[in-house]
Amino acid sequence: MRHLIVIPAFNEEEALPRTVERLQGLPAGYEILIVNDGSADRTRDVAAALASTSRLPLHVAHLPVNCGIGVAVQTGYRFAVADGGYQNVIQFDADGQHDADFIKSLVERCEQEQLDLCVGSRFIRDFGPGSRSTFARRIGIRFFAWLIGFMSGVRVTDPTSGFRCLGPRAWRRFADSYPEDFPEPESLFWCARNGLRVGELPVRMFERQGGVSSIRKLKAAYYMVKVSLAILFDRIRRTEVARVAPQPTV
Amino acid sequence: MINAEFLMLLGGVGAFVMTLYWVRVRELRERYAIGWLLVATLLLLTGLFPDVLKTLADRAHLSYPALVLFVALGLIYMNSFFVSVALTKHYRWNVRLTQQMALLEERLRRLEDAHGPVPIEQIETETE
Repeated sequence: MRHLIVIPAFNEEEALPRTVERLQGLPAGYEILIVNDGSADRTRDVAAALASTSRLPLHVAHLPVNCGIGVAVQTGYRFAVADGGYQNVIQFDADGQHDADFIKSLVERCEQEQLDLCVGSRFIRDFGPGSRSTFARRIGIRFFAWLIGFMSGVRVTDPTSGFRCLGPRAWRRFADSYPEDFPEPESLFWCARNGLRVGELPVRMFERQGGVSSIRKLKAAYYMVKVSLAILFDRIRRTEVARVAPQPTV
Repeated sequence: MINAEFLMLLGGVGAFVMTLYWVRVRELRERYAIGWLLVATLLLLTGLFPDVLKTLADRAHLSYPALVLFVALGLIYMNSFFVSVALTKHYRWNVRLTQQMALLEERLRRLEDAHGPVPIEQIETETE
């Protein structure tokens, strides 16, 4: 069974080699796709060099212009659809925040519980200082968790986590339509509302190792408003997928 | 003497000429030209028959300038809104094309890695 790890990368020349190195411990069956999102630095060359040395099959797709995290991740889903042979697609940050040791657990959890989306959560178990984001961000994350729970009835603890594993029902749909910027809470809400099975798994996260966060301080207010509105708008849309069995408890 | 009606008439003629010119040189698509021709027609009609607007203003209990402002703002709003809709649609097309290009480039690179680079002349011969 093959699984695809999608790494969206925008100006990540510094952190990318270490991130890919951490993934090399995964067993056969895992493949990596780096989506270079129109980076202005040497990410393109670094990714090409990594492709020639990686033990796991490593593919590189270059978006000619910077399109944003949502488009970059969706390119990964579209790659998976075009290939046709993957079971799960894992979203994994290029900046070294995510711990590759938890990828297998995410995939196993997805398969054991037949989840469509399993989110790696920083807030279920305490893995020590620095692993749970800043205080201000935690407030925003709790707000989105509350909003998603209130609007869909599905309880989650880390809706903004970009460390997640998607089953075929979720990634095939997201290949067709996926939120553009700040896509994590919105896509999670879509899954929850459309009856896809959503779960969470405690994961450890690290401090950023380089690059620039896609959410800077000035963007924070816009982020809160945009994502909240997107969730509210999605709530008034028709559901697309027939509801399945009740949600598993997280 | 210049008054509001005369200016509307002038604006209507100007809008007609401008729209027709841009369509003629293929810088404006016919589907967008229809909206602008309607605006030009409205301007012309209100210039030629000022009593229509005056009657409307009386019936709506508005002053003449207030009604003109209301209609103008309505037109600007509608136009801007549909430009936003068109931009959204074009953004989606652009994204799809960009992604498709990135994926095709990746696939081509993989094929070339496996079979060696294909000379451009060969591709041209095969597609002829």
